[in-house]
Amino acid sequence: MKIKASILLLLTAMPIGAALAHHSGAMFNYGEMVEVTGVVKEFQYTNPHSWLLVDVTNADGSVTTWGFEAEGPSTLMRAGIRKNDLPPGTKITIRGNPLKDGRSAGAWIDAVVDGKTINPRNGFAVVPAAK
Amino acid sequence: MKKRFFLLCSILLVPSISGQAAEPLGWLTKDADWAASKSQLQAFGEKFSSASDMYAYLQVTAGGGDTLQWPQMGEPAYDWSGVYTRTGGGLSFDPDIAAGETTAKLTPAGAAARQAKIDRVNSTGGEYDPISDCRPPGHPRWATEPFLHEFVVTPNQSWLMNEMVNDVRRIYTDGSAHTLPEDAYASANGDSIGFWTDGMLVIHTQYLMSGQYQRGTQPDYSDQVQVVERWKKIDGVVLEADFWVFDPVNLAKPWYTRQSWTKLANDDNLLRLRYWDCRENQNNEILQKSDGTSQFMDFDFIENDAEVSTDEEVK
Repeated sequence: MKIKASILLLLTAMPIGAALAHHSGAMFNYGEMVEVTGVVKEFQYTNPHSWLLVDVTNADGSVTTWGFEAEGPSTLMRAGIRKNDLPPGTKITIRGNPLKDGRSAGAWIDAVVDGKTINPRNGFAVVPAAK
Repeated sequence: MKKRFFLLCSILLVPSISGQAAEPLGWLTKDADWAASKSQLQAFGEKFSSASDMYAYLQVTAGGGDTLQWPQMGEPAYDWSGVYTRTGGGLSFDPDIAAGETTAKLTPAGAAARQAKIDRVNSTGGEYDPISDCRPPGHPRWATEPFLHEFVVTPNQSWLMNEMVNDVRRIYTDGSAHTLPEDAYASANGDSIGFWTDGMLVIHTQYLMSGQYQRGTQPDYSDQVQVVERWKKIDGVVLEADFWVFDPVNLAKPWYTRQSWTKLANDDNLLRLRYWDCRENQNNEILQKSDGTSQFMDFDFIENDAEVSTDEEVK
C-alpha cells in the first residue's frame, strides 16, 4: 500500500464496540488493523453511525479519502468527542479494522490528534449519575 | 369501570392459578446469593403454563394493584427521570453470561434454530441484522439494545423509550385489558398492559412478532412469544426488571433473566434522546447479501465503489 498506511495483524478478539454496533460487523476484517495519517475532510456526525472522512496523501501525490465508522452522536458524546472537535483540516492519525472488500473504509478504533488519543468506543462505558 | 370488571374476572380465576403457585414471590435483590435467587425466580416462572396465567396470578395476589395519583409521581419509586443505558450484557439476552452462550431451556425446534444461526455465522463469517435499515428490534429483544433510554411514568401509562430507531414501548396501567383477540394484530412491541404493586411495575406483553433475542448465537422467538416483567427502581440510579419469557415454539420452559439499566451522569445535559434515521447518511445504507451477510452499499467518499470493491454484490 503506497499511502501512509500500515496493516497490522491483530490477535485480539472482536472489539466490544463492534459487537454493540447497530448493524452486523460482517463486512469488517477484525483480524487486521489499518492505520493512516492525513487530514480530516468531514465529520459526519449522524445516526445510526458517524463517519470520519480523512484525506490521505499517497506517495505519488494523489489523495485517497478514507472513511471510518463509529457509533452515533450520543455514544460519541459519552466518549467526549463533540461535533466540532475534528474540523476539516485537522491533522490526524487514525486506526481501524478495514473492510474485507478493499474499499478505503473501516471500523474506527482510535485516533491521535495533537498528541491526544481519542477512542469512540469509550462511549460505551457506563458512568452512573450521582445517587 | 373496566378495571373493576377485569378484577372481577381475575378473582374468579384465583383457584386454578393459586393451585399452581401457592406463594407470591417478592422482589429478590441481586446480591451475593444471586445464583440461588435466580434459580428461585426461574422456578417461580415454571409454575405457570402461560404468561397470561402468570400475570393474572400476580395481579390477583397484588389485590389488583395500586391506583397511582399524579402527586405520587415525584416519589423515588416512580420518578424514573434521567437518561439511562443498559447496565451490561452486550449481545446476550441474559446479562449474567457471555453472548455466545444461553441459559434458555430450548425446545428441539428452538435448539435447531439456534444451531442454524451458529452454523450460518461460522460458514459465512457474519450475518445480516434486520435492524440495519432501522426496522425495530421488537420485543423481547428490546431489552438487549444498547444506547440511550428514557422512562416516563404516569398514573395511567408508562413509556419505555430507546433512542435507537425512536423505539417506544407503551405500558397501559389504567386498568384496561388487552386488545380483544378479534381486534388484535401483531406488532414489534406488542400490546402491553400493567399495574403497580409495592413500587414495582408489572407488565404483560402479547401480540408480538417473531424475532431473535439478539444476533450472533442468541436464540429466536416465535410470534407466540409473551413476556411478563416486573420493573423496580433499585437505588436512585439503577432500574432492574425481572423478565419471564414464554414461547411454546422455542422455549421448553419460561426463560427468566434479570435486566438492568443505569442512569448516566449527565451534568451538562448533553445526553438526550434524538431522532434516529438510517437514511440521513448514505454511508449507513447496508446491503443484505445473498449469503446472509452484510455489506455497505455505496459510499459518498468513494467515486466508484464498484470499481474498487472486490465484493461481487457491490459491483
